[in-house]
Amino acid sequence: MLSQCVFSVETPVGPPVEIIRHTFASNLPKPVKRISLITGLHGDELEGLYICHRLIETLKSLEEQNAFKGEVHIYPAVNPQALETGTRLWPFFSVDINRTFGQTNTPSLPSEVSKVLLEDIKSNSDLAVDIHSSNLHLMELPQIRIIKGFEKKLVPLAKFCNVDLIWVHPHAEIFESTLGYSLNQAKIPTLVIETGICLRINKNYCEQIVLGILNLLQQTGILDGDEPQANIIPPKVVQPECVTMIQAKNAGLFVKQTEVGQIITEGEKIGTLIDPVEGKVLEEICSPCSGLLFTIREHPLTSKGTPLARIATEEPA
Amino acid sequence: MKEKVLSIPTAFGTPLELYKNSWGKSGHETLSIVSGLQGDHLNGIYLSSRLSQFLDSVVEGIDPNYTLKGQVISFPVANLNAIQSGSRLWPYDGMDMNLAFPGNPEGETSEALASAIYTHTMDSYWGLILQSAPPHYEDAPHIQVTKLDRRVKKLARDLQIDTVRKLNETPKVSLFHQWYAHDIITVTLSAGSPRTLNVQQCEALFQSIVNFMVAEKILKDKRKINPDENTKPRFYQPDDGVAVLAGTAGMFLKEVKVGTAVQAGQKIGEIRDIYSGKRREEITATADGFLVTLRQYPIVYEKEPIAIILTAKKSWMGYLPGS
Repeated sequence: MLSQCVFSVETPVGPPVEIIRHTFASNLPKPVKRISLITGLHGDELEGLYICHRLIETLKSLEEQNAFKGEVHIYPAVNPQALETGTRLWPFFSVDINRTFGQTNTPSLPSEVSKVLLEDIKSNSDLAVDIHSSNLHLMELPQIRIIKGFEKKLVPLAKFCNVDLIWVHPHAEIFESTLGYSLNQAKIPTLVIETGICLRINKNYCEQIVLGILNLLQQTGILDGDEPQANIIPPKVVQPECVTMIQAKNAGLFVKQTEVGQIITEGEKIGTLIDPVEGKVLEEICSPCSGLLFTIREHPLTSKGTPLARIATEEPA
Repeated sequence: MKEKVLSIPTAFGTPLELYKNSWGKSGHETLSIVSGLQGDHLNGIYLSSRLSQFLDSVVEGIDPNYTLKGQVISFPVANLNAIQSGSRLWPYDGMDMNLAFPGNPEGETSEALASAIYTHTMDSYWGLILQSAPPHYEDAPHIQVTKLDRRVKKLARDLQIDTVRKLNETPKVSLFHQWYAHDIITVTLSAGSPRTLNVQQCEALFQSIVNFMVAEKILKDKRKINPDENTKPRFYQPDDGVAVLAGTAGMFLKEVKVGTAVQAGQKIGEIRDIYSGKRREEITATADGFLVTLRQYPIVYEKEPIAIILTAKKSWMGYLPGS
């Protein structure tokens, strides 16, 4: 494994902030494919770091067996100062780096970082995977999110990744400043994985994705194909009209009564919304449909309109 | 008239209430003014309250010089929770509210607020967004636009502000973009730095907005004063903005004021090593021009912009002999 610094900046008080890329080179003169795995754009999303740790561990062993026909690049911590403080945003700038890709208006260090990172990934990749956890509010079942329009190329690749769900969702303009969208626009097929919740490591979900990414490497010819076929979950592929979101009708505290990954039936209770001051139950939250519960609210504080759960249904809602 | 346009219940009692100010009758071409999209942009909030005070006095007949002919709407405080938290963003959702437009009435708090503001202003003819510089910077008062068409140029001239800066596209989910896409003649007035109030700058911008309202006949000035013909705004293209970058990290001590003219090679300030106090780098202007943005917060990283200079390109007449 070769480690290179792709971006370095002096800090006011000490050692530089550096973004590192690890490379597992191909054994062939020309790699069959080059893949980049990126984690830590948001500093409070730690599951991607654990996934990278497990992958690096495994890939180092495979490197000794000359198993690489393609090239693997791992960017394990692309927002180092946010990771060190455990915050979503780069703290000094209060900026979400994953909202700065492709923007040119105001020169700033975060936009310089996103520019350099994007160019580096583009010049080293035929394929990319951007790994995220959810925010502090929602727990997510391992899933790949694909913006409508990109699904033709991405769904076949996403099926290799051992996720429970592939959610093809409508485009929203806010996505245009993200790394995933920018790479897909640049014709580098990029899968965006969402799993678990921020500031925690769900080991089972992470191991599931590690297996999926290794399978992706094998299926795309990057790793030698002599390995036995991994036992991969066939994901549920859902279109936008087959996702039902349950939102709070009141402000209060949501106390959940179920977990993601459950198949729930119409009318089944998901949780309770309570008034913490008056001691009243404001709402019993029941599922309006049957299907796979793939998102559940973990942060209890809600206001009207807050998402509480998402369900993938068989039929359009 | 202060009117509650949205009330959002909260878990612990007091609801969150969004207020709109309006003056004049509907049916006229309307000017909408929005400030406080970021909770620490205090100049805009102060300026909006100053305008409220003025327009109240006009409508109540206390101000002898003006009568209101058109309609004005203002949302002095857009990002209520961020302002109450004393921060740029609302810590609960960490969302930049200026990336939430056009919003969603059924969505979460920031989306619902954005939707209410957008809905109440979408029939306006003109739109003004009041903001401060990005975090750590100070802006000289100036106008920001994304298009320089005839209508926008007229608005800029009517405001009688010297500096008009054309930016590349703003995010599609910003209020600016949404207003513009709805054919509202939109500009941003940017001045000062976050978390600080510069009353002098606000007073100058207040007079600019009054000038604009008189020029567009939203207000009638009974004194029949001839408009100031001396202010001719200078229009800068995106490429005219030159960033001066820090080559080292440390503590930046500035030696110039924002809003002044600088010459190539002129010292802007220096960066000192925090441990030794020694000078690490002298920061100099890389071009002649107008210093529109300057670093205000002294701690800097390497490669950070220290200043933005709007370059003073000569017109072709400047190259003629004897000019």
